[in-house]
Amino acid sequence: MSLAAGPGRGHVAQGQLPEELKLVVDKHVAYIQSLDTRRDELEYHLTEHLRIGGIYWGLTALHLLGQPDALPRDGLVEYVLSCLHESGGFGAAPGHDAHILYTGYSVQILTMIDGFDALEEKMQGGKEKIAKFIANLQQPDGRFAGDEWGETDTRFLFSALYTLSLLGYMPHQRPDEPPIVDVPAATAHIKACHNFDGGFGVAPGAESHSGQVFTCVGALTVAGELDSYLGEEGKDRLGAWLSERQLGSGGLNGRPEKLVDVCYSWWVGASLAMIDRLHWLDKEKLTAFILQCQDPEEGGIADRPEDMVDVFHTVFGVAGLSLVGYPGVGEVDPA
Amino acid sequence: MPDHAEDEAKYYDDPEWADIEPIQQADQGPNPLAAIAYTDEYAEAMAYLRTVMARDEKSERVLRLTKDVIEMNPAHYTVWLYRAQVLFATHADLHKELEWLNETASQYQKNYQIWHHRQLIVSRLCPDPASSAATRGPPFPGAGIDVDSLVAKETSFVASMFDKDAKNYHVWSYRQWLVRHFGLWDKGELEFTEASIEKDVRNNSAWNHRWYVVNGKEGSEGVKEEKVREREIAFTKRQIRLAPQNQSPWNYLRGILRKANLRFSTVQDFCIEFADLSKPEGDDVFSSHALDLLADIYAVDEGRNEQAKRCLLLLKDKYDPIRANYWQYRLEMLDKEMGSGIDSHLPEHETRNLTSAVSV
Repeated sequence: MSLAAGPGRGHVAQGQLPEELKLVVDKHVAYIQSLDTRRDELEYHLTEHLRIGGIYWGLTALHLLGQPDALPRDGLVEYVLSCLHESGGFGAAPGHDAHILYTGYSVQILTMIDGFDALEEKMQGGKEKIAKFIANLQQPDGRFAGDEWGETDTRFLFSALYTLSLLGYMPHQRPDEPPIVDVPAATAHIKACHNFDGGFGVAPGAESHSGQVFTCVGALTVAGELDSYLGEEGKDRLGAWLSERQLGSGGLNGRPEKLVDVCYSWWVGASLAMIDRLHWLDKEKLTAFILQCQDPEEGGIADRPEDMVDVFHTVFGVAGLSLVGYPGVGEVDPA
Repeated sequence: MPDHAEDEAKYYDDPEWADIEPIQQADQGPNPLAAIAYTDEYAEAMAYLRTVMARDEKSERVLRLTKDVIEMNPAHYTVWLYRAQVLFATHADLHKELEWLNETASQYQKNYQIWHHRQLIVSRLCPDPASSAATRGPPFPGAGIDVDSLVAKETSFVASMFDKDAKNYHVWSYRQWLVRHFGLWDKGELEFTEASIEKDVRNNSAWNHRWYVVNGKEGSEGVKEEKVREREIAFTKRQIRLAPQNQSPWNYLRGILRKANLRFSTVQDFCIEFADLSKPEGDDVFSSHALDLLADIYAVDEGRNEQAKRCLLLLKDKYDPIRANYWQYRLEMLDKEMGSGIDSHLPEHETRNLTSAVSV
């Protein structure tokens, strides 16, 4: 799965009026399918350390576009399982070290392709092993490291919680068993990343950033603490900050006075959805913006009009459209 | 796996590496999703790297190898982490490492790994700045690290990175770490944020850093302390006057008032400087943020709910229409408090001369 950019570029076809813009589903599906064939490009293997990410993004987009079988299931199962380590963690590609992010993506892929039986065949008690791999990465202060090397980041914390939730190993899903992770410590760390402007950063004191808002709000949602922590007032303040991300073009940015980027359609949109304030965005303008970022001839979506497309922006553009209810796009769970 | 041309192989032909049988990429199966094509040079270096990592070899030649891989693919995060381990295990000259990082920094601006790597190196050079092992002033033989010199070099380097991209998230995070680790709260950081804001008053990262420097020190009161608060409010007002339509200082101002538990109404007259609705010739609004804050100020005072409503309607229909639904929500909240029906449209005479929203 190539994570390389292009070949298409976001643009509006010659002579097409704004109101005529529509999502070119078939072209996007073909684009995603073609990514696996572009192996002569340098970027294909330079992005090997993200490979399973690319697959996850491509597959998610296909599911949302209503074509979940466009990538052959057997190939996916085999590839994902070839990234599995004895420890229960998954790497980004065969031979790559296990990491919490890629473990999360792998579990999501297995969930989408219904591959847990195959997992069990390869590794008995697989789900539990994966859960334990994740649990072992929690630090005393509640944060999660990505892997044995110890870097921490709120993205890893969110990965940990949503993955455990998908596996059914969050403490609240197993109330009769001792908890394998310390959820209160984790959420305490998230709360420490809550800033004076109502947003969340990557670490305590770090600038509020839409991507981090998503991971923090997502983590609180999975942990079931969103309402109790933010309350209506907190949601109002955060929602106000998030709604300010929308600029005149209809697109969204990640922080005040920064450029718009289609992927924020997801980070900002999903965050707003989780706090029940998605309607604070101008959905029509956002839709028009996303559609202007797609390449209507070659498929794929770019970060903004005129730039080259790639699979990362494709999935987040489509997911953004899903959130605002674009017809024909499947429903997505914000958390 | 394509065969290397003999003359292209760098490690394969190198007698220094003759003892290594490189581990090839594992996924050689017929599955099209898994097979990966390489360019020869990168493939070769990666094969050797995989091998030495599997053997946990930490030697000088591995330093050269990791550098090679980094230069071809700086986004590969594991190679950075392994390099750090090798640097420490071989007691390599960490000052030289910093110099190399400085030289190559401009190529790696968007790279997160390089900043984490830098943090590991600097932490290792000076794990505990407060300890007796750290000296101040020029080092003498047998002394510990010259902390002042290290800090000066780091902050200066960080400043030069900001010259290239003043909003680089990773670089600001690193600077925050420097402040925390070396206790730089009173050592020129405030002045640094002021200079950054002076360069670009819309640099949200600089505003965030200022908040951190003022309020982030453990045990400090920050803006709860009157002197600090007065200084910060004065600073913020000055910056708002330079560019009234700018999210950052208004968020900062609200942050100060909230933390210090002050009523928003203390800045009412200031807001009116940018949003004067009392003039007979028409609204004099050149900051939607001022209008927003005025709406909040009027909303808590029962006698002035109509004024609050007016502000919100202006924002919804004229000055910030893309967030119409948000302003509608604020109107509904106001309505709940007022207990009366809300007419959520501007009176006709106000819509006649609708111009585009205040330019951002």
